Amino acid sequence: MTPEAQQMREHIAQLVRKPSLSIDENTPLVSSGLIDSMALVDLLLKLEDLTRMRIPPGKVQPKDMDTIALMFATAQRVGKPRK
Amino acid sequence: MADINTFQTITQALEAAPGDRSFVTMWVDEDEHEELTFGEFRGRARAQAGFLREHGVSSGDRVVIIMPQSIGIMETFAGAMLLGAVPAILAYPNFKIEPAKYRSGLAGVTANLKAKAVVVDDEFPEELLGHVALSDGSKLLRTGAHIVAEPLDDIAEFSPARESLAFIQHSAGTTGLQKGVALTHAAVLTQIQHLATALQIDGASDRIYSWLPLYHDMGLIACFMLPMVCHVPVVMQSPLDWVVHPETMPQVITDYRCTLAWLPNFAFQFVPRHTPRSQWSRYDLSSVRALINCSEPVRASSMHEFQQAFGSAGLKRCALQSSYAMAENVFAVTQSGVVDSAGLRQIWADAAPFRSEHVISRIREGTPGALSFMSSGRLLPNHEIRIVSDCGSVLDDGSVGEILIKSDCLFQGYYNRPDLTAEATVDGWYRTGDLGFLFEGELFVVGRKKDLLIVGGENLYPQDVEEIVAAHPDIHDGRVVAMGIYNPELGTEDVVVVAEVERKEVLACAEEIAAQIRSQVVAALGVAVRTIFLKPPRWIVKSTAGKPARSATCEKLLLEHAELNCHYRETNA
Repeated sequence: MTPEAQQMREHIAQLVRKPSLSIDENTPLVSSGLIDSMALVDLLLKLEDLTRMRIPPGKVQPKDMDTIALMFATAQRVGKPRK
Repeated sequence: MADINTFQTITQALEAAPGDRSFVTMWVDEDEHEELTFGEFRGRARAQAGFLREHGVSSGDRVVIIMPQSIGIMETFAGAMLLGAVPAILAYPNFKIEPAKYRSGLAGVTANLKAKAVVVDDEFPEELLGHVALSDGSKLLRTGAHIVAEPLDDIAEFSPARESLAFIQHSAGTTGLQKGVALTHAAVLTQIQHLATALQIDGASDRIYSWLPLYHDMGLIACFMLPMVCHVPVVMQSPLDWVVHPETMPQVITDYRCTLAWLPNFAFQFVPRHTPRSQWSRYDLSSVRALINCSEPVRASSMHEFQQAFGSAGLKRCALQSSYAMAENVFAVTQSGVVDSAGLRQIWADAAPFRSEHVISRIREGTPGALSFMSSGRLLPNHEIRIVSDCGSVLDDGSVGEILIKSDCLFQGYYNRPDLTAEATVDGWYRTGDLGFLFEGELFVVGRKKDLLIVGGENLYPQDVEEIVAAHPDIHDGRVVAMGIYNPELGTEDVVVVAEVERKEVLACAEEIAAQIRSQVVAALGVAVRTIFLKPPRWIVKSTAGKPARSATCEKLLLEHAELNCHYRETNA
């Protein structure tokens, strides 16, 4: 896991208020009901921070945010470099 | 501005707009925005009308439009109206909408409308196309700037009657059950006339700011129809862009000197909380005449938070306003005083008689047990309100009951659903299902629609949650209550579920059951349940009919779980 992915994992654990939660890069988050659409906004922002990119939300579908690995792949695919 | 009463149709008002005035600016970010004048917009709308005509759309046909927030969607909408067709905008799929929920909603709504055409943009996801219900003779069209069509120039030929349907707007609610509110040109123009007068709209000096989605009444009426008819420029963002970067709202208002905006309650705290404190005073919101809170109820704490944050940015206290609005009345029923305003009226009432007798007994601010209520303003002209008790008798001022409305811009009915229309209306009155009271000529809304949960601005029927929970094999069928508990941190409600298990023994694996239920609810409805309380058999309070008694169960839960109490504000009164 990259340091960024590691940070994302800690962020998610904090978000769902379960510090002991064991998730890895491929744990389903949305489809398992761990997080919902309100939280996705927060994760998208965190992803922008961690990748230093601007990610147009209109180009993101829930399936693109289902795992930590998918999130970073999505950022690579649709993100624009920040000024 | 031309007199709105002289227009027969909404599109006639567009035709009358000064061609060189700015109409819509789509703001994406600092480097990316597109601006169209009224003249340019007219040209593009005619091209869309020509495109639709070439594909067999004619007067009276329903046209479903599913496109992202953009100038393009407005062009298609106006183009359909130019033809005399009846457009309806549906929400575009996005990462905030759960696919399963979206698909079932889309199929239900498009089937009910029996649309001649379903218009989507080029990027509409292929995998969702299968869920667009196409009736016989209806077509799927992909549109965009690239379309080649003979523009519709002989507009007068297509101009419909004032009393004919202009468009259908879909009320909020569980998507599968969304109701299509059918509105005539007359109703829409009448509403805009009332609203423009109440707000003293001036196309030459006003500018509207909006991130509101166009498939919702606030976005469609206040931020698209009103500016089009009153010839007011509007600066628009995508709701998604805004929700991810809410600080763009004060920035855009500052840059464009916007004067008017409509917002749901949660935005009044969401924006300050997501805008760095160090930035607050760097904006200039002195141009704003009215920021109108359209939620029910309007919460004093949210309005206060916004004022506290942006007072230093020049935001005038009297700019914070409120309105009670709904799709069934085109839009606004009441509007607070924008012109003579000393700010929104807030009153305090004794909690005890409010809860037990449903009456307002005023007490001084700060008295222990004082509840605060914010006014939604006064009735627009030719509007009437009745507050009625459970048994239908009309209540006096200061008594809380269901709000019924009657007006000269009320809807025709739910499209193709006479059953729902009959349920919602009685002797020409529309039953809002909201609870409120009148006091000295102003309306105060105290609760959301009966039983409805409002989560992140979306209405959710508790029955839908309960159905899913009850389907779990360890849960006793029919012994589930879902409720909304206001979360002051988020400014919205959290979903809390209490359910009885089949056998007491299974409570040993309560966590596992709760996790399964949670994932089923989110898969179907797209919301996370905050807390699931699993209780032994016969815990839930039942009504005389043997059904779970919602409010009594809620009270029992609050008694047992004091931690929920501090967040609970009685709305089932």
